[in-house]
Amino acid sequence: MVAAELLLNIPFVIIATGALVGVAASLLGAFLILRRSSMLADAISHSIVFGIVVVWLLTGQQSGPVQIAGAALTGVLTVSLIELLARTRLVKNDAAIGLVFPALFSIGVLLLNLYAQDVHIDTHTVLLGEIGFVWLDSVLLGGVEVPQALLSMAVVTLVNLVFVTLLYKELKLMSFDEGLARTLGYMPGVLFYALLTLTSTTAVAAFDAVGAILFVAFVIVPPSAAYLLTDRLWKMILYGSLISIVSSVAGYYLAVLWNVSIGGTMALTTGGFLLLALLFGPRYGLIAQELRRRGQYSANDRRALVVHLYNHEGSAGQEEENSLPALRGHLHWSSGKVERVLDQAQAGSLVAVEGEQLRLTPAGRSLAREILEPWRKTEGTSPA
Amino acid sequence: MSDGANAHEPDLAVHVEDLTVSYQHKPVLWDIDLDVPPGVLAGIIGPNGAGKSTLIKTILGLIRPAAGHVYIHGRPYREQRARVGYVPQRSSVDWDFPTTALDVVTMGLYGQLGWLRRPGRRHLEQARHALDLVGMLDYGDRQISQLSGGQQQRVFLARALVQDSDVYFLDEPFAGVDATTERAIIDILRELRAGGKTVIAVHHDLQTVRSYFDWLVILNVRSIAQGRVPDVYTAQNLRAAYGGQAALLHSSDPVAGISLERE
Amino acid sequence: MPQLLAFLSDYTIQNVMIGAALLGISSGALGVFAVLRQQSLLGDTLSHATLPGVALGFMVSGSRHLGSIMFGALLSGMAAALLVLILTRRSRLKTDAALGIGLSTFFALGVVLLTRIQQSGNAAQGGLDSFLFGQAAAILRSDLWLMGALTLAALVLLGLLWKEFKLITFDPLFARSLGIPVVLLETVLTLLIALAIVIGLQMVGVVLMAAMVVAPAVAARQWSVRLERMVLLSALIGAGGGIVGALLSATGANLATGPLIVLAISAVVAFSLLLAPQRGLLRTALERRRTAAHLRGSRVLVSLQRLSAQHGDRSYRVEQGMLNAYHRQDTGAGLRELERRGLVRRAPHMPEEGTHWELSDRGHDEAERVLQGLDPGNGTANANSSGSNSASSSSGSKGVHGGG
Repeated sequence: MVAAELLLNIPFVIIATGALVGVAASLLGAFLILRRSSMLADAISHSIVFGIVVVWLLTGQQSGPVQIAGAALTGVLTVSLIELLARTRLVKNDAAIGLVFPALFSIGVLLLNLYAQDVHIDTHTVLLGEIGFVWLDSVLLGGVEVPQALLSMAVVTLVNLVFVTLLYKELKLMSFDEGLARTLGYMPGVLFYALLTLTSTTAVAAFDAVGAILFVAFVIVPPSAAYLLTDRLWKMILYGSLISIVSSVAGYYLAVLWNVSIGGTMALTTGGFLLLALLFGPRYGLIAQELRRRGQYSANDRRALVVHLYNHEGSAGQEEENSLPALRGHLHWSSGKVERVLDQAQAGSLVAVEGEQLRLTPAGRSLAREILEPWRKTEGTSPA
Repeated sequence: MSDGANAHEPDLAVHVEDLTVSYQHKPVLWDIDLDVPPGVLAGIIGPNGAGKSTLIKTILGLIRPAAGHVYIHGRPYREQRARVGYVPQRSSVDWDFPTTALDVVTMGLYGQLGWLRRPGRRHLEQARHALDLVGMLDYGDRQISQLSGGQQQRVFLARALVQDSDVYFLDEPFAGVDATTERAIIDILRELRAGGKTVIAVHHDLQTVRSYFDWLVILNVRSIAQGRVPDVYTAQNLRAAYGGQAALLHSSDPVAGISLERE
Repeated sequence: MPQLLAFLSDYTIQNVMIGAALLGISSGALGVFAVLRQQSLLGDTLSHATLPGVALGFMVSGSRHLGSIMFGALLSGMAAALLVLILTRRSRLKTDAALGIGLSTFFALGVVLLTRIQQSGNAAQGGLDSFLFGQAAAILRSDLWLMGALTLAALVLLGLLWKEFKLITFDPLFARSLGIPVVLLETVLTLLIALAIVIGLQMVGVVLMAAMVVAPAVAARQWSVRLERMVLLSALIGAGGGIVGALLSATGANLATGPLIVLAISAVVAFSLLLAPQRGLLRTALERRRTAAHLRGSRVLVSLQRLSAQHGDRSYRVEQGMLNAYHRQDTGAGLRELERRGLVRRAPHMPEEGTHWELSDRGHDEAERVLQGLDPGNGTANANSSGSNSASSSSGSKGVHGGG
């Protein structure tokens, strides 16, 4: 009965709920990012406020299956409206997004103002959620009291996991090459709507915990950070989920430490991971990029030098062009750069210096040929 | 505009030396030397990805080269801006922008106007004159989204004409225009040449090279050949430029077609 | 009437109206550039990202002092814009993800700071909530001076750099070839848009300010041929919607101001998209129907002419049922259209039942013209230098073939 005891442990329930929100969102967010539709998640998470309020006014239910169904409908409604507007060609896609969700969101908030003065979904919760209170509402499941938010997040996460696992190949194709997916008969349009519907239902399930806007962070930020770390899709999903889980744990304790919003610190921590990935990512991080760029610049400089020498080799202007002064005068290189490039080119035995004159070595000549006439594919010397 | 003692190759309209351009680590142009004498109508041809647009943009200072330098009538481009006119690719802008044809042409004068000054009556007159030259005077007040592709291209040309430059660069001026417009444009370019101006156009259609241009630059990442069209437009040079992409050549072209089939 | 006057001279009401007008003018005018540069969602990110600045401004000044809050909001908005710029230019992430990251992480930081302030138990903290959804009634006369000064500054700068802003929005490449410092001007423009958002924060709130950047501009685009007019109209629509929404909120039953303003302007957008005379959807739909009817008519006309030519009889009569079978659709509407234009007429053909039709002389001429591809109903007779004639007639004839 360790599990049952854990479910009475408030920190555990809060952290587990946050982690499930993150994992469920990362599963879907990875595909949204690759398809360049992240801002639809923003639109949906704002406009489900409309759906939640309308369903609540009609049925009196604040959560449960009816709310989930209502959310799915709202998501589809939002995206259909955006596509409808964009298809008129009067409005660009980004402006269409910026028109639709504020309108729906506004209606939702006004309805709340009018009818929900004393209910616990006030406008504040709408935006920020209150993950600190998720343990308050619980249901009996097999004789064990299970917090309702945790239960619904677990179900939603499971559904998302099954969806992504079963349709992994199709989703991947849809995200990378929608045209090809269509030709192969995978109905990427239907699949995309299914993905967005799940995004909506996840947003509703996560609503009590993190609110409408922080949810956007869980969808977009962890998979984005993962995208800076790997090229493999499944790794991107895995890393995204791991980042979400660690963020939930760290976010919880930071919030306790600073006495601030738990959902806020959880979302903020995902941002911290993104920053780390941006700086230190092994291939796509800024530092790795800068190091590689330097290497490539100097390689390019060496290549530019051999091509220059090759072009003028045997021509009337060879004396003038293939000389040290020409590198400064014609290529507009500084003295320091000339020295550096020549040192490297000599070290790679591409160029020989004879007084003021520069001569290509056979290796340098074949590198130049390889650059200029790649279709010939002569001697396979790799670029210096 | 006196070409003083420190002018470099003042007899050439365009003088490019050892130009190397790399884009996101990938070199697009290698060590280009390019000389275009004044008063010619020059075409730049080459296969897709040969760097034709990049070459023009680099000459105009829109892309910073990794090495090399550019002179327009003997001086760096920066000092010669007023003597250069530019027609970008038509597809590079959103034609649903709320403005009129006349207004777009007037934009050609913004460089001369300088900060804080508004175009006045005289400038509008100049713009109307340029529209007249391209046969679009009646369309001056027309919203640009309502113009056909060919008409939009003419508006772009008029905007360059109003710059009243010595050297004109055109990026694919015939792409996606109707036959009437193509004829109208080439007539205007010829008139410019007759007036002593230099015109340099990125061109796609090999079939019209010999009838349109008198100077030719063949490009594929490096400069393959350049000079008078009869000397340069040879099967050997085309083969060198188009290499593996030979299938893309128009087989109906007398020079390119036959020689490539023989290979 | 005296009641209305009393209402309008009410101090709070005046404040609210002036504030709403300033908000609408600044975001309406500058939003045009965000929309035209296809950066509508940058407004969304900027507005959400002002939240930490709002909180910081409050923490530093220790009160709900609008000046420091606006300054903080502007700073954090620009920091988010910088983050988005770095992410799109320097990482492999695309614009949409970068915007989402900027929006959500900055908002999260704002939430954290807000709850921090709430813990501190500052008496003025309650007022901070109004920055989420906006609260018109909370506006003070001193706030208006600040908002007015900033609006004026933004508009003056817009006026001074008008032709440069227009050019870099329409054709940045050409602008650079003229030696105009495009990157610098783009930064100034982004700063101005952030400024417009900050001006409106107190009225509309961080969550919905995005709509104020997009909606007035989209509505104004429907009625404008020129940028000058679009900016002017957008400012007017913004101000109008702002005043309507703010008044409803200030007088009504405890309704948040932001949503009311957004809905007022959204209504103008819907109206403009549907009914604007040039670009409205209604007009486009009607035009499409008219063209379709015209095409159907032309095809029926040509079949009638062919039949009469085959039979060598200029007044050959054809039964409508036969035409229907020939075209595999009902030709009644097309025939009535032709009849209205005097190109065909009903002809009795006893003893057979059903309507019969024959071509009039003008119908014969018209059919000839259609067959030669010179469709006079399609436009002009001047086939001179303009390229549009060849373009439109070629697309027209494509329609004829494609439709058959």
